[in-house]
Amino acid sequence: MSRLGQHMNELSLFAAIVLLYIIFGLTADGFLSFYNQTNILRDAATIGIAAWAATLIIIAGEIDVSTGPMVAFISVVLAYLIQWGVPTVGAFVLAIVIGGLLGSIAGALRAYFDVPSFVATLGLWSALRGLSLYFTDALPVSIGRNDIVDMLDRPIFGLPPAAIIMMVLFAVFWFVSKRTAFGRSVFAVGGNAQAAFLSGINVRRIRVTIFVLAGMMAAISGMLLLARLGSGNATAASGLEFDVIAAVVVGGTALSGGRGSMLGTLLGVLVITLIGNGLILLGINAFIQEVVRGIIIVAAVLANIYAIKRGAAKKG
Amino acid sequence: MKHPIPKDRPVIARLEGCTKQYPGVLALDSADFELREGQVRALLGKNGAGKSTLIRLLTGAEEPDTGIVTIDDTPLSASGAQRAAEAYSHGVRVVYQELSLVPDMSVAENLFLGRWPGRGGMIDMQALHEEARHALDSLGLDIDPQQPVSILSPAERQLVEIARVLPGKPRMVILDEPTSSLADAEARKVLAAVDRISAAGIAVVYVSHRMNEIRQIADSVTVMRDGRIIETVDVEGADTQEIVRLMLGASGKEHDAVVPAQPGPEILRVDALSVQPKIADVGFSLRAGEVLGIAGLLGSGRTEILEAIMGVRPSSGGTVSVDGKPVSGRSFRKMKDLGFGFTPESRKDAGIVPLLGVDENTVVTDWSSVTRSGVLQAGLIAEATRRVIERLHVKTARTDSAISTLSGGNQQKVVIGRWVHAGSRVLLLDEPTRGVDVEAKAQIYQIVRELAAEGKAVLFVSSEIEELPLVCDRVLVLREGRIAEEMTAPDIHQDAIFAACLASDAA
Repeated sequence: MSRLGQHMNELSLFAAIVLLYIIFGLTADGFLSFYNQTNILRDAATIGIAAWAATLIIIAGEIDVSTGPMVAFISVVLAYLIQWGVPTVGAFVLAIVIGGLLGSIAGALRAYFDVPSFVATLGLWSALRGLSLYFTDALPVSIGRNDIVDMLDRPIFGLPPAAIIMMVLFAVFWFVSKRTAFGRSVFAVGGNAQAAFLSGINVRRIRVTIFVLAGMMAAISGMLLLARLGSGNATAASGLEFDVIAAVVVGGTALSGGRGSMLGTLLGVLVITLIGNGLILLGINAFIQEVVRGIIIVAAVLANIYAIKRGAAKKG
Repeated sequence: MKHPIPKDRPVIARLEGCTKQYPGVLALDSADFELREGQVRALLGKNGAGKSTLIRLLTGAEEPDTGIVTIDDTPLSASGAQRAAEAYSHGVRVVYQELSLVPDMSVAENLFLGRWPGRGGMIDMQALHEEARHALDSLGLDIDPQQPVSILSPAERQLVEIARVLPGKPRMVILDEPTSSLADAEARKVLAAVDRISAAGIAVVYVSHRMNEIRQIADSVTVMRDGRIIETVDVEGADTQEIVRLMLGASGKEHDAVVPAQPGPEILRVDALSVQPKIADVGFSLRAGEVLGIAGLLGSGRTEILEAIMGVRPSSGGTVSVDGKPVSGRSFRKMKDLGFGFTPESRKDAGIVPLLGVDENTVVTDWSSVTRSGVLQAGLIAEATRRVIERLHVKTARTDSAISTLSGGNQQKVVIGRWVHAGSRVLLLDEPTRGVDVEAKAQIYQIVRELAAEGKAVLFVSSEIEELPLVCDRVLVLREGRIAEEMTAPDIHQDAIFAACLASDAA
């Protein structure tokens, strides 16, 4: 594939984003306002932070459907920790550790017990949602005034902190995926696990690590959720995992593993967020929004597959 | 051993003057072939001798460029997909080498896969089981048709595969190395089934290189070489040396024999290694600067030895010592750390990562040498890759070209090269020239010799016996799970290796 061909996917996504801006800019009142743009960024962060880790997971040929309940669970745990008087920074650190440990359960089930990751994370999905509902009786767990938590929702130079954290983490994941032995090993495992193993790559460790990372990212999303709502919430982030997977897949990462890019996922996150935001501003029926989103996701992936096939045909 | 079949039995299949040309290869050169009812004909020849092409003409999978294929007194006339259907309707059946059963369906369902008895989409289970029982009985098999294929042994699966060709009216059954993946004891069950088939008057074409099997079940042998049928002889009275000579041809001229290297210190020592069920009590030693070949038929356990050494496959006994010290609890990474590198038999399934570049496929064995403070250095990766590319003569446009765009031979060089990058001192190469063109083969031989000259120890497994004399300082011949013979350069000759591989009663 030519240099340009490799970035065909990113280019067409970029064009799609420009198109969405033009359409919504012309039709939806207030779409282009500064306030709405920061809203878009904040919404993007909710999907994006989890999507960076999910990109590595999907490149490795795995899947994670536990994102939503994991984020909600961590927000509940954090709220309790703060209620109990654990210093806020300590609670944050603890939350990330807990997220990593929860992720490691799914990772270990996959790597050491050969449980398909879909099943392992489906189990987590159900168990974590249930646990948080049980602890909270489905009621929000309020934390009252907390300067550090509040700071996470106060704009810095007009930008929501969530967006800044998202971009910083994007840079980290972009770097890890391109420039570290771990990141490249993820590609090798997803591209041909047998060959990776026979080259001496610790395939199991890679598999556990990507799920640990996903748990840690869910924890960070949980913190931001807590900051945004002012409470831990067992029912929040419902369906987030599907937005995350959709963003990664729309971004051109192959569900079969071995192929994908962080930049693609970033653009995919923007596409998903823009569509959601624009449809709301247009005042379209909430149920119909879901239908439109579904169609657009499938259409985007279909276009991508077609582009790849055409590229391959031209080469042959 | 069978006696020759009388010449008055009706002819089932006949090829007359059949020629088949593929781009760049004359696969079959005016071949004449005749098979009579109840005959069991063994088909012998090296890789590329034309056996598969002959079979494909018989089954109608291919049309000859010139010549006539007659099945059951009817010349095949259709072309394309219809031709195979035509041959099938005249009773031609093939048992394929790679198993084509659905593991989680029952034996009965597999026997009639897609042709289940019944009507209107409903399967008549009773009829299905009765017919399955009948097919299994006719081979004398004691297999419950209702159990799933997944719980059967490899031999039983092969037998189900054979039973599958019996429904309908088969006149000729072609078996392509049906016992190659089986241990000797298991292979006997398959041979018994073949006996029953031929006793029912069905003609059998049996591709195998196991001479003692051929002596047991075949009445005649057709030997092929370079796309030509060299001779068809009765098994009765045929001698193994003579058959080997027919297979190799008079051209037995060999290239410059390897000049035995000055052997360095012993690096690897294998004692009494056994791997159930194929390998029993194998021992050898490997020195620095030495290329040790392992020869043996398909399924003789060559791969198993390499995998057991590397800790990829559990061994059931024996010790592996490196630098004189036994290695306990072998794992792939442990062996890698001891300086071992392994290239697998299947380049596509287990060798390359197709979506990554040549560069990453090379440095994947050792990221640390191209990493500074945890960060991969593009410059170092390119440099390391270039070193490997130059040393192994890999033809690639760029160091970061996708490896899937390279030819098979160049891909293989990269797979070997990744261990050069890792600085391995022992290389275990499993079929490194499989699916590689002639020029690349010669280059790989040269690379292996160069690596040995630098002091690396190489274990070279190959099913292409003619290449062993070109590469190896020593050759071990594996037969029936043991080392049957050992040869040392310059006294390594392919006819001797062939004979040792084929027969337990050679010479």
